[in-house]
Amino acid sequence: MESPASALLEALGYALFLRDETGALRLQGAPPDWLGKLWPSLTKSRDALPLEQASPFLENFLFDAAECWSAGGEKRARSGPWVEPGDGAEVSLEATALTLNQQPALLLEKLGAVFEEKKSMLQKARETVIAYQRLNSETQKKEILLNCIAEEMNTALANAITSLRLIELQKHSPRTQQLLALAMRATEEQQALIRKVLHVFAAELEVLYGRDGGAAADASLGEAIQAAADVVAESFAEKRVELRLTKNESRVAMNVDQLTRVIVSLLENALRHSPNDSEVSLEIEETSEATTVRLLDLGAVLPNEIADNFFARGVAADEDAPPQLSLQFCRMAVENCHGEIGCTPRANGRGNCFWIRLPKVGAQ
Amino acid sequence: MIQKKVCMIGASGVGKTSLVAKLVHSIFSEKYLTTVGVKIDKKTVAIDGAEVVLMIWDLAGDDDYQRLQTSYLRGTSGYLLVADGTRAITLDQVLEIQTRVAAAVGDVPFLLALNKADLANEWEIDDARLTSLNERGWKSFRTSAKEGAGVEEAFSELARRMIQPK
Repeated sequence: MESPASALLEALGYALFLRDETGALRLQGAPPDWLGKLWPSLTKSRDALPLEQASPFLENFLFDAAECWSAGGEKRARSGPWVEPGDGAEVSLEATALTLNQQPALLLEKLGAVFEEKKSMLQKARETVIAYQRLNSETQKKEILLNCIAEEMNTALANAITSLRLIELQKHSPRTQQLLALAMRATEEQQALIRKVLHVFAAELEVLYGRDGGAAADASLGEAIQAAADVVAESFAEKRVELRLTKNESRVAMNVDQLTRVIVSLLENALRHSPNDSEVSLEIEETSEATTVRLLDLGAVLPNEIADNFFARGVAADEDAPPQLSLQFCRMAVENCHGEIGCTPRANGRGNCFWIRLPKVGAQ
Repeated sequence: MIQKKVCMIGASGVGKTSLVAKLVHSIFSEKYLTTVGVKIDKKTVAIDGAEVVLMIWDLAGDDDYQRLQTSYLRGTSGYLLVADGTRAITLDQVLEIQTRVAAAVGDVPFLLALNKADLANEWEIDDARLTSLNERGWKSFRTSAKEGAGVEEAFSELARRMIQPK
């Protein structure tokens, strides 16, 4: 009569092998059905089971198992899932090496519903990642296309302006001169607009890929903050907004130029949301893995629906200022470095907190 | 008969399993079914009159959800790096994975398969990139698990390199 333990193993569909003094792995108890179907030769005889001959995967895993058994104690080695062809339908298995009562043991498990659930989740997760990559790629292609269109328009407008200037040199009636001046002004305004668009495109590409095509992702946070503060100093002074900085010497995994540009953009936005004669504080929080930079302003609290989408496409920096990076590109630059970006109301209900969290150098 | 272990290496969804299915079973499915863990298939190829049995270890794509287990690479005679030609990022990923594989298995033959060559309109990997890799001594193949183009050629070339005396 088989023991309760053997009956339990059989009921759970496990196959337990114990290594004897000759080094052979011997099956304990009755073999589960799936074992007999997969490897009939293993279950026909109770002689030493040549597991390594049954499956090349097991042959490989037995090296890890041997290490585990040598260590003894509570150490375990898991093979991870693998698939055997089976008779008609594939069978997913996992092996665990462990020591039972000081005897090396190998447990083979036919993976069931829990594994299938995990597999289904991985399937969905990977499909999402692939869809995201494709979407990202499409977006970039469209942006390049838009850039090309803007370039074409810029060239066409430059030609139009040259032609208008040549026409201006000829004698015309006052009415024609008036119309020419109007056409010239409208064309120049269009060209200025297109150049601004091209300027923004160039800045966006620079923040994404770096001026040198992707410099080292190792920036001194303190230096980047100081450089950004220098850039915005005049704007802050104009609005009489005090900028309170915190000294920091940590290094984060981002290109220093990109980091500086992102902080400039965030400071400009914090300033935009700040009333005159107020202040913006920059706070830093560190963990062993990441550094969080928070910009706290005293402006009107952004409604949740705006705060949640603050770094989505279409939200741009102050139009009156020189062309700035759009906030969407701040997000892309930060996320490209495996960081996070966000906007939340301040805990005290006064103002907003714009924040970025960046991995420390070596922590990615 | 010579038997050699080959590992399929690459990011998720690049078509590692599809390449093996095409080579071994001459089948292709448009549906993406993720691999979890390992599946081993066998294929005999004839190289210069010699029969070489390839034990092909199809390893799950390396990503944030599952990292490549280097213990699976033990005893490999060569590996096929696979990238999806319609997603340039997968080439960056496989280049990074290759450094880990090389650290684990040392100097063994490998080739690069740029898969999904049938999707020419969506191709993202430019020739300059490949030229740069070729200059580093990397041999690459454009493969299509769907149409079969380049599949046997890639595996045969890898087998040839694996049986060549060093």
